[in-house]
Amino acid sequence: MIRFKNVSKIYPPNVVGVEGVSLHVKPGEFVSIVGKSGTGKSTLAKLLFAEERPSRGKIEIGGWDITHISDRDISLLRRQIGVVFQDFKLLPKKTVYENVAFALQVAGERPRRIREVVPKVLEIVNLSNKSDRYPKQLSGGEQQRVAIGRALVHSPKILIADEPTGNLDTLNSREIMDLLTKINEFGTTVALVTHDRDMVNRIKRRVITLEEGKIVSDVEEGRYKL
Amino acid sequence: MFVSSYRVSKFAFQNFWRNFWLSIITVSMLLLTLITINILLVMNVVTDRAISLVEDRVEVSVYFYNYTEDTTLSSAVAYLRGLSQVRNVETVSAQEAYEQFVVRHGDDEQIMSSLEELGENPFGPSLIVKAHTVEDFEVIINALDNPQFRDAIREKDFSDYQSIVERIRATSDRVRTFGVALAVVFLLIAILIVFNTVRMGIFIHREEIAIMRLVGASNWFIKAPFLLEMIFLSLIAVGITMVMVYPVVAFLEPQMSVYFGAESSGLVAYFTENGLLIFGGEFLALVLVTLFSTGLAMRKYLKV
Repeated sequence: MIRFKNVSKIYPPNVVGVEGVSLHVKPGEFVSIVGKSGTGKSTLAKLLFAEERPSRGKIEIGGWDITHISDRDISLLRRQIGVVFQDFKLLPKKTVYENVAFALQVAGERPRRIREVVPKVLEIVNLSNKSDRYPKQLSGGEQQRVAIGRALVHSPKILIADEPTGNLDTLNSREIMDLLTKINEFGTTVALVTHDRDMVNRIKRRVITLEEGKIVSDVEEGRYKL
Repeated sequence: MFVSSYRVSKFAFQNFWRNFWLSIITVSMLLLTLITINILLVMNVVTDRAISLVEDRVEVSVYFYNYTEDTTLSSAVAYLRGLSQVRNVETVSAQEAYEQFVVRHGDDEQIMSSLEELGENPFGPSLIVKAHTVEDFEVIINALDNPQFRDAIREKDFSDYQSIVERIRATSDRVRTFGVALAVVFLLIAILIVFNTVRMGIFIHREEIAIMRLVGASNWFIKAPFLLEMIFLSLIAVGITMVMVYPVVAFLEPQMSVYFGAESSGLVAYFTENGLLIFGGEFLALVLVTLFSTGLAMRKYLKV
């Protein structure tokens, strides 16, 4: 599903984001990418959804070589990859429903399909009863669930979560992790970028550890060891 | 495609309403540019009309001695009609000249008694020669020096229309140069304002744009609302110009009768006959200019 072959990202003038990263994530896998701040976790996530292009190496998503992906194709890639961030990135003037529907609207989906899909997604993230609320009327955990819902509307094959629990308390973090696990059980490949030790240890899935831009360990059913 | 176009239009209108005052300023600047251009057009029409009216009056009256024979007169008429510069030659016979004189001075007893004392028709025949343009004037005057009838000519009477036309042209050229300079200045300001409006729009919508990119909106979908908004603003500016121009020219036309006499300045007719071409052309030109400016702003500030 995801294949990195000796990928490096060097920022000018000579700052290493990641260096010589090779990895393979199988379809339906749940992988946590961990490491201290500044070790290249977010760079790796950005390379996955083509926010950044690699300086060297090759990246394939579902057999699609996105190493030199054109600007035109980025939108197609992003309709197949859901992305969730620490700061939620919700539109404050849109309701929960509208925030989720927005992802379909900008992709040109028909209103009928939007009316079908959005309620289902809101049910998955357990927000059906709050679809008319605005982000500021929700807790942090609920806002993150809206963001996950928005990431899911395209039925992506891969969900990238970049520090999704970074702004949340333990209870809300657990809820989010349970939701991500549930989504993974439905068959979506999940790449979780985090430095939340408890959450990683709790789910007992594959853990890739980065240090200074390089993979220093890659363990099935691993633990956060740093 | 239809659904996307609808949403792009919706975003464009949202941009317009959310930056309402900025939109008003942009439309005002576009409007000023268009008004200047239309004032230049009005000036052009009025000047052309004035020159054509003056040229219409360009004529040389050629008076022959009263002993001039008909054959000499006929050969002069034939010769003049053969010149490409001559538009028309009108012959006034000695008898007609006499009758016209009587009609003109019939009430003046002194003149009439003097005429009676002469006992015969003192007037000779004359020709009224009309030229196409004032530039033809000189050729016609020179042509009248033809030895075939030169000695039969008593007097050539003409006014210096060329200097009148030159004065009209010189004045209108000066005003036109100033108008074009003003239009260019307004256009440059309009380009800067459009640039700034789009930049502000991008800034205001930066969150929305970032999320659009994140969830897979195409570049076209992100850029199109800004382009459409500027096309919409251009349309408003042209619409307001149209609504202003027609009543203004309708008001001006009778005011100009002071200068044009019974003739019309032709302003209303000009804008009615060429309205589609004028305002369609202005709209297209404005769209090109605003799209150019929008393109520059998006290239600089909209990283998609």
